[in-house]
Amino acid sequence: MKIIRELNWFKALLPILLLLTGCASQQTTYIDPNMDFGSVKTVAVMPFVGLTRDPVVAERVRDVFINKLLATGAVYVIPVGEVARGTARAEISNPSALSPEEAIKLGGIIKVQAVIIGTLREYGEVRSGTVSSNIISLSLQMIEAQTGKVVWTAASTKGGISIWNRLFGGGGKPMNVVTEKAVDDLINSLLK
Amino acid sequence: MISLTAFLNKLVLIVAAGFLLLPNLAKTEEVGKDSPIAGKGKSRIAVYPVENLSGTVAPVKEIRQTCIEKLKVHGVDVLEEEVLEKFMAKYRIRYTGGVNKEIAKVFRQDINVDGVLIISLGLYSDVNPPKISLISRLVSTGEDPSILWMDGVGLAGDDSPGILGLGLIEDPNRLFDKALKRILDSLIKYLSEGQEEAAGQSAKKKFHPKISYRSPALDSNKKYTVAIAPFFNISERKYAGEVMVLHFAKELMRVTNFNVIEPGVVRQAFLELRIVMEQGVSLANADTILNVLNADLILSGNVVDYEDYQGTWGKPKVGFNAQLIERKSREVIWSSNSYNQGDDGVFFFDMGRVNTAHAMASQMIQWIGKMIVADRERVQRVEGSKDRVK
Repeated sequence: MKIIRELNWFKALLPILLLLTGCASQQTTYIDPNMDFGSVKTVAVMPFVGLTRDPVVAERVRDVFINKLLATGAVYVIPVGEVARGTARAEISNPSALSPEEAIKLGGIIKVQAVIIGTLREYGEVRSGTVSSNIISLSLQMIEAQTGKVVWTAASTKGGISIWNRLFGGGGKPMNVVTEKAVDDLINSLLK
Repeated sequence: MISLTAFLNKLVLIVAAGFLLLPNLAKTEEVGKDSPIAGKGKSRIAVYPVENLSGTVAPVKEIRQTCIEKLKVHGVDVLEEEVLEKFMAKYRIRYTGGVNKEIAKVFRQDINVDGVLIISLGLYSDVNPPKISLISRLVSTGEDPSILWMDGVGLAGDDSPGILGLGLIEDPNRLFDKALKRILDSLIKYLSEGQEEAAGQSAKKKFHPKISYRSPALDSNKKYTVAIAPFFNISERKYAGEVMVLHFAKELMRVTNFNVIEPGVVRQAFLELRIVMEQGVSLANADTILNVLNADLILSGNVVDYEDYQGTWGKPKVGFNAQLIERKSREVIWSSNSYNQGDDGVFFFDMGRVNTAHAMASQMIQWIGKMIVADRERVQRVEGSKDRVK
């Protein structure tokens, strides 16, 4: 009888615990079921849109993403200088927000099977009362260069203020570590 | 009685050793006269004005003057000041951070100089504890200028505080003398023996790249000629890109597989070809540059962080990305992302702490050199952020 009463308490607390722990990490993904991702051997990563105060951080995150993607060995990422050259040749005014036609044109010039675009929604320190922590929120899209269709989208948020931070303090994890975690998360969703 | 005999024996031994050592000590003071450089009288060196990459006002003239005096003491034939001034005015030389082909040629033809010593000041802070970093290289003159010797030093006054802070250096001049001595000892060794000093300390594991990719096409047994393109600087530190190029040149020089092209020659090629890089080296640019310089690889990248701190409290921070593009395959064969802070892996009493961005960047790039030449199986284990080189 006593055990059943304790379990009821636990059941009542469970949704609250799940809600609180869910604050630290989120990820949403769309994968085109008709797309053959095995055919994608070479990709271009466009400059990320930075919705943060510091425009340079988008470039930092892009570099981390490129290196991580290359390190998987699954796809080859063409050099950023080559992407810039292709963008100029394709006369793309805003390389961070490609139209399907522009993606097809760019893919033809720099000879890639897919183009990845991204938006850095949040990057840096967040504060709540006396507690602070690092957070990153990044969303990515993969556009097939042959059709101009979006075949994969994913978003990931890592870091932020956890219950642990609230209860025991501490500044959370360093920005580089949080960035790598978010990028790992996104790459895993692409390659799984 | 026995102890008295033992004491007398020791005393006699010490006195005898002193007599034997005295002539040697006298000889040490005259090392300049007996050194092979002084004897040969062949190597004539021009010392360029110091390139100040510290982003602050620094006593560059004094640094150069002290360097020249010390070289002369060691018997090195240094080109006279007036001759160098006239030569630089004649050929309108304003850039003193490197030597291009034309300048190297006329150095040999006009004033019979065998090498040009380039000194770059990376950091100068006289706030207690003082900090300094120098990177220096000797470039040959003639038709094909190349780096003969290159070394660097980054020191802080509190690098070795010792017990009760007895090892602290508070005088910037003392620290500068120590840094210069280290650099010049290495140069003198090269000039007298024809070989470079071995790297001071090996890179610690914590400085390895956090993310790296190494193409299987990279041949560990092949000797590559590398051109280092200017690094983009997205950090807050002025001239961080230029400093990083020098760090890479210095560390890759030590890797036997690499022949690094003099950065002055690379710079001249970029200027002559009017290459303006927007975000990085494109394949078309890489083709052109590599063909002109007859190199196998082009290294490019960006500097994300290069921070030093003034005073006692703070920590240096270095972060950068590097990519190697191969001429033959037109592909990226190495790509890495490195970042570290001075107190990484430090838990007790500041043990293992690094106080200058220079010392940290050197070790971080040493790791890249190691991993590039390492066999494939070994490198595979360090790809990604979680695995480490065992």
